[in-house]
Amino acid sequence: MKCTFVPSICSYCGTGCGVLFETIDGKLISTIPMKSHPVSGGKLCIKGWNLHEHINSPMRLKKPLVKTFGRFINTSWDEAIQITADRFKDIIEKYGPDSIGVLVSAKMSNEENYLAQKLARAVFGTNNVDHCARL
Amino acid sequence: MKRKVKEWLEDGTVDLFLGYRMNCGHPLPHCFTKEEIDDVEHLLVSRTRYSLEKIATHLAKRDPELKIGLLARDCNQRAINVLTIWHQLDKDKIFALNVNCCPSPIKPQADCSYMSGEQTSSYKVQVGIDNLMDIEKADDFSDQEKNVRWMYEFQKCLKCYGCRNICPVCFCAECTLEHKDLIGPGRLPPQIPIFHLVRAAHMAGRCIDCGLCEDACPMDIPLRLLYRKVGEIVKNVFDYNTGESSEQSPLSLLGEKVSLSLKPM
Amino acid sequence: MTNSIDGIEKSNCIFIIGSNTTANHPLVSRRVMRAKEKGAKLIVADPRGIQLSRFADVAIRHKLGSDVALLNGMMHIIIKNGWHDKDYISKRTEGYEEFAAEIEKATPEITALATGVSEEDLYRMAEAYGTAGAASLLYAMGITQHVTGVDNVKSCCNLAMLCGNVGIPGGGVNPLRGQNNVQGACDMGGLPNVFTGYQPVTDEKARAKFSEAWGCTLNEKPGMTITDMIPGILEGKIKGLYVIGENPKLSDPDWNHLNHALQELEFLVVQDLFLSETAQVADVVFSAAALAEKEGTVTNTERRCMKYDQAIPPLGDTLPDWDIIARLGTAMGYPMHYKNTEEIFDELTALTPSYAGMTYKRLGYDGLQWPCPSEDHPGTVYMHKDTFSRGLGKFHAVAYQLPAEQPDTEYPFSLTTGRMFAHFHTGTMTRVSPHLDIEQEDGYVEINPRDARKMDVKEGELLTICSRRGELDVPARLTTSVEPGTLFLPIHFGENAANILTSSEAFDPLAKIPEFKVSAVSVKKYKVEAPAEAQVEAEVEAVS
Repeated sequence: MKCTFVPSICSYCGTGCGVLFETIDGKLISTIPMKSHPVSGGKLCIKGWNLHEHINSPMRLKKPLVKTFGRFINTSWDEAIQITADRFKDIIEKYGPDSIGVLVSAKMSNEENYLAQKLARAVFGTNNVDHCARL
Repeated sequence: MKRKVKEWLEDGTVDLFLGYRMNCGHPLPHCFTKEEIDDVEHLLVSRTRYSLEKIATHLAKRDPELKIGLLARDCNQRAINVLTIWHQLDKDKIFALNVNCCPSPIKPQADCSYMSGEQTSSYKVQVGIDNLMDIEKADDFSDQEKNVRWMYEFQKCLKCYGCRNICPVCFCAECTLEHKDLIGPGRLPPQIPIFHLVRAAHMAGRCIDCGLCEDACPMDIPLRLLYRKVGEIVKNVFDYNTGESSEQSPLSLLGEKVSLSLKPM
Repeated sequence: MTNSIDGIEKSNCIFIIGSNTTANHPLVSRRVMRAKEKGAKLIVADPRGIQLSRFADVAIRHKLGSDVALLNGMMHIIIKNGWHDKDYISKRTEGYEEFAAEIEKATPEITALATGVSEEDLYRMAEAYGTAGAASLLYAMGITQHVTGVDNVKSCCNLAMLCGNVGIPGGGVNPLRGQNNVQGACDMGGLPNVFTGYQPVTDEKARAKFSEAWGCTLNEKPGMTITDMIPGILEGKIKGLYVIGENPKLSDPDWNHLNHALQELEFLVVQDLFLSETAQVADVVFSAAALAEKEGTVTNTERRCMKYDQAIPPLGDTLPDWDIIARLGTAMGYPMHYKNTEEIFDELTALTPSYAGMTYKRLGYDGLQWPCPSEDHPGTVYMHKDTFSRGLGKFHAVAYQLPAEQPDTEYPFSLTTGRMFAHFHTGTMTRVSPHLDIEQEDGYVEINPRDARKMDVKEGELLTICSRRGELDVPARLTTSVEPGTLFLPIHFGENAANILTSSEAFDPLAKIPEFKVSAVSVKKYKVEAPAEAQVEAEVEAVS
């Protein structure tokens, strides 16, 4: 049996409290406040204490989906990515790069946001990039 | 100490050992195993304290045969006693490596860092309850003043349930604090004082005075003092020393049967 | 935040406006409470009675959307009493004369009328803030989600500069950001007009730099904001949309309008943990890995960039967001090959001056606060120490304007929206969390008991709320934390989606932020309409 305590940052608001994810044999068991964290010093709110629960939710998507005739079917990554790339290429060809919008996420990491806006600007060729900072 | 842990892991006395190690300047809990025996060199005893015995109960629930070693100060030891009395841990499967308590007034030559906390702020001393106050002092207030002061503290509550979540001896599958008929959900602060008094009542005969609850409280509510008072009543009325006595407390709100089913997570 | 979270404890006075801090930023409210207990003064201005109001030295409930009037009124009293920092104003700011002329007009009488706050309370607020020394101003969406959002923020800055509170420990203008990496998303160029580190896309030098690093030519035209994109879809300007980890069907204003727009899209891709309301109408859904299943960095509201580690492998056939984006880029003919997130981080720090001194190794678990321009820079605990980013701090003369919608005879109530303590944003993550769901299972609307009594509505009974955009039925929660004539609707619950009622047309002209905090609505007790005779017949027939 293997048990780990992995440092992470709570994703439920902009405060950025430090947590430890307790795992046993690769399963997420609980969220523990990180005592020596500079922001939260070993305290959390109700959301932080239950941070692991949404990750363990049976409602999670497990595979990429493609809608065919109004219904979602499971698909492989290669297919989902290819379909998307083809459709975006078509749209860019037909209407130009500014016909595409990208909504990046305030819940992704810096690396992912950087990459998403790079995708919009360098690959799609548009500055139509925004996220929910206003909402 | 490191030698002992290595010995235990190597000869199979324990399957794993819960302690601490430094990770990027932060002392964090760590599970040492035979497979990574060299890591034991990094085993650390620090003032930082996590509820290792609660983690042990998580492990024991998944594999009741697992032999668990852990680093134990006096408070951890008291918690382990309570947890074995209430069948959350099997005393034959738990191996505590006793380390010196952080220094404490409870024990000579020792003082628990959780007892000599930071100085309470002036305004709080004036209107609320001084976290460093002893029980007799807190009892000296008139009933009315006690009420006003405690209500000031309870009103700050963010309903994080941190006091319950971090508590090594809170293990019920269903928690009264989440019972809608007793405490209305969805409001901040929670219904006071019932939220805190219900928890205090449930701590009778269970609280081992480790101080982790107060340490986890974002609003510095003097929970340790509150539960210590409850513990004092149990001691005076029933002559029961929580954490030291070898039987279940005569006063229990846990009902006839203690559920051993997994807590919903 | 110009200052830091733990710095709040060093403050002599904390002024909270438009933030229900204990519910939405609980671990910030901890610092507020600790400052209070150390002897700091606490001022709370919020149209609702909030938990921190109970502990405030001055707690007022001003009219919805009257923030500029309130702040101008406070500043009027501060100037009249000479509590402003004349030395600071002359050395570090500009535009004071014009600003002071505007403030001159905001007399206590006028302010009291506009805000509904008594002149005595106004004086007490101004005195507490103006005479405190280091004073920290905290705000959240209650300030920004208005048609006058930018004006509100400018007024907050005016107040802080007036008393010399910017660039000192324990002071500052401190917006509390609502999502874990909303700061980072902005820093990383997740905005239509800037690359990373707020380098404008219109700036030729910046464009050349990114163009060289990325090996491509770059579009110089600033893009559309989210509030422009939705009408853009209806006008046929936007044909394809890639939505990552957002649920605009619940978070954007005016549900009906948006719903219509999403149907008009030729292609919609949604990347999420769950089949959210928005994902349900997508053509392709990418299943993303969750927080514990990947590593990376986020930047919190005090500009602290912090690293998190991977705890468990990604669930089923899910991938980290960065991996999905990289695969899509590669499939589009632009190779994006990264071994790990550290490689991406090193690429972005090289292009972003404020992050230039950061490496994974340096971040550790304590993180670093930007600006951190070089590897030997310790990070910045509070900003604008000796000078502002633009040199001198600029006072803006801001006149008070009414919100877009005022209650009238047809829609006599004011509706405001926000979060409650146990849930987050559109609830996609928190409502599937058992312990949070227990705390609040269903949506509700807060109504003053007086109003409820007049409508003969009891706790938990359904109310029908109508606005010019739509209507919904929602259980009543009776509480004096809202004033008579005001309602509060939490935004987490899809079945009573607040954005059915809110307007997509009322938004700040500059920031394009929608006015979620004020809508005019009507309220009545929910009545079951008796079905028509023919329908009864048909149903009886079907049963028998």
